Amino acid sequence: MAGGLSLYQEGASLLHRAHPLTKGVLTLSALALAFIAPSLYWILGIALMLLILVIVAGVLRRLIAVALALLLPITVLLLAVQGFANPANHTVLFAIGPIVYYTEGLSIAAIAALRITCLVVATFLFSFTTRPADITEALMQRGLSPNMGYVLQSALQIIPQTLDMAGRIQDAQRSRGLETEGSLPKRARAYLPLMLPLVLSSLVATQERAMALEVRGFGLPVKRLNRYEFTDTAVQRVTRWALALAVPAAIVARLLGWR
Amino acid sequence: MSEPALLFENVGYAYEETPREAVSDINIRIEAGEWVGVTGPTNAGKSTLCLLAMGLAPHFFGGRLRGNVTVLGTESRGIKVIERSTDVGLLFQNPFTQISGARERVDEEVAFGPECHGVPQAEIEQRVEEAMRVVGISALAKRHPLDLSGGQLQRLALAGLLAMRPKVLLLDEPTSQLDPAGTAAIFEVLSGLHESGVTIVMVEHRLETLCELCPRVVAMVTGRILADGTPQDVFNSEVVQERVGMPVYTRLARSVGLPAPWPVRLSESAKAFGTPIA
Repeated sequence: MAGGLSLYQEGASLLHRAHPLTKGVLTLSALALAFIAPSLYWILGIALMLLILVIVAGVLRRLIAVALALLLPITVLLLAVQGFANPANHTVLFAIGPIVYYTEGLSIAAIAALRITCLVVATFLFSFTTRPADITEALMQRGLSPNMGYVLQSALQIIPQTLDMAGRIQDAQRSRGLETEGSLPKRARAYLPLMLPLVLSSLVATQERAMALEVRGFGLPVKRLNRYEFTDTAVQRVTRWALALAVPAAIVARLLGWR
Repeated sequence: MSEPALLFENVGYAYEETPREAVSDINIRIEAGEWVGVTGPTNAGKSTLCLLAMGLAPHFFGGRLRGNVTVLGTESRGIKVIERSTDVGLLFQNPFTQISGARERVDEEVAFGPECHGVPQAEIEQRVEEAMRVVGISALAKRHPLDLSGGQLQRLALAGLLAMRPKVLLLDEPTSQLDPAGTAAIFEVLSGLHESGVTIVMVEHRLETLCELCPRVVAMVTGRILADGTPQDVFNSEVVQERVGMPVYTRLARSVGLPAPWPVRLSESAKAFGTPIA
């Protein structure tokens, strides 16, 4: 059976112990600032800061695997397309026969690649160090309704559950002789016998889940008690505010001519 | 006479859009602290009986209810299922149905019910630890519920229920997915709960198990109660033997021509055959 969608890796680093909201604000601010910052050096600075946090969190090795799979092809593609074919290209960096590579394209590709790197690193840093349940819990402690909290938590579980169900239906239909592989027409013919039971099973599962929640007292009008007490220090609160305020400040700076 | 834990008075119930009643003319009085086994063939109405006691029928399923279902002094129509969940626990036949679908770890899943009931955190932790220990899943505490096998999931479902500390337990085939060792362990847990005063209504197909554990058995056929009494009385009835079946000891005694009353338990069987059990 499939587990949840969580990428969380057990750990005791500073980031693992930080309040989920601090990590959430850090991630969103880093993303926003990477896209607002005007020059390569600023974005490189953000990327380096994120890299330091990755090392502190002890998830560098795992991140490298993701980076190689995700970022390397994107970066290579950006460098090739922008360097050779950007309309703004005019300063030749090097030429091999008829193939000319331009400085402007390289600069644009580097900025775009770094921004995407920041996006990927910040997102995965957050995912590797924060359990999805903790995010929901932290939000509920800040006033999110338990019903909405349940929706968020179950949404993260529903994809693996549905994939698992689809796998079982596919196995069952194959055992009855349905061909699910091969040419496109064959696959198309198999679509309905696979989708119909999946949709029906999902509807039944939804009804059963609703029943289970009632039986377990979900929705009882009792005062909700916190599941965990997250450590939230003055330093974290100041960091959150500073990061959150840095985004509008950067936007204003850009509008005032920050280059 | 003290207030019964469960009282069914002339109960009939039909699911929505079905003309025929799933259960009819049900009259049962179950005292607090009793352990009652319910058995019968498919479509006998055993699961519906549990759903009625929990209040899911008719509150969740709709349909038509005749008569009165009173649990711990409160009539079913006057109480919501979530309110009843503070005192009554239902274990579904399919353990997957019991899972909240929102928790990433087994221990968190067990804590879901007590959290919904507003139990203080320190007590939740103690209840979770105890419930996982008694059903034997402490080692799985950090696993994802969806990564468990059917048997493990069934234990998790029971642990989630036990952590809610219900006064009345309704168990719909609680060990259907467990191996013999797991089954024995769960029945030991149930015996302990019974001794501590919890009322248990258990749907079970394994007649030998039912006779060994339950001082009282209710046999159902096509939505009606066919017999209600001690295992000896119920399974010595020829109608029950014909329509529900009989424990293997009873069948053996009959097949070799022993006179009635036939044995329903291993110990009685040994006595009937003149073979002492060590």
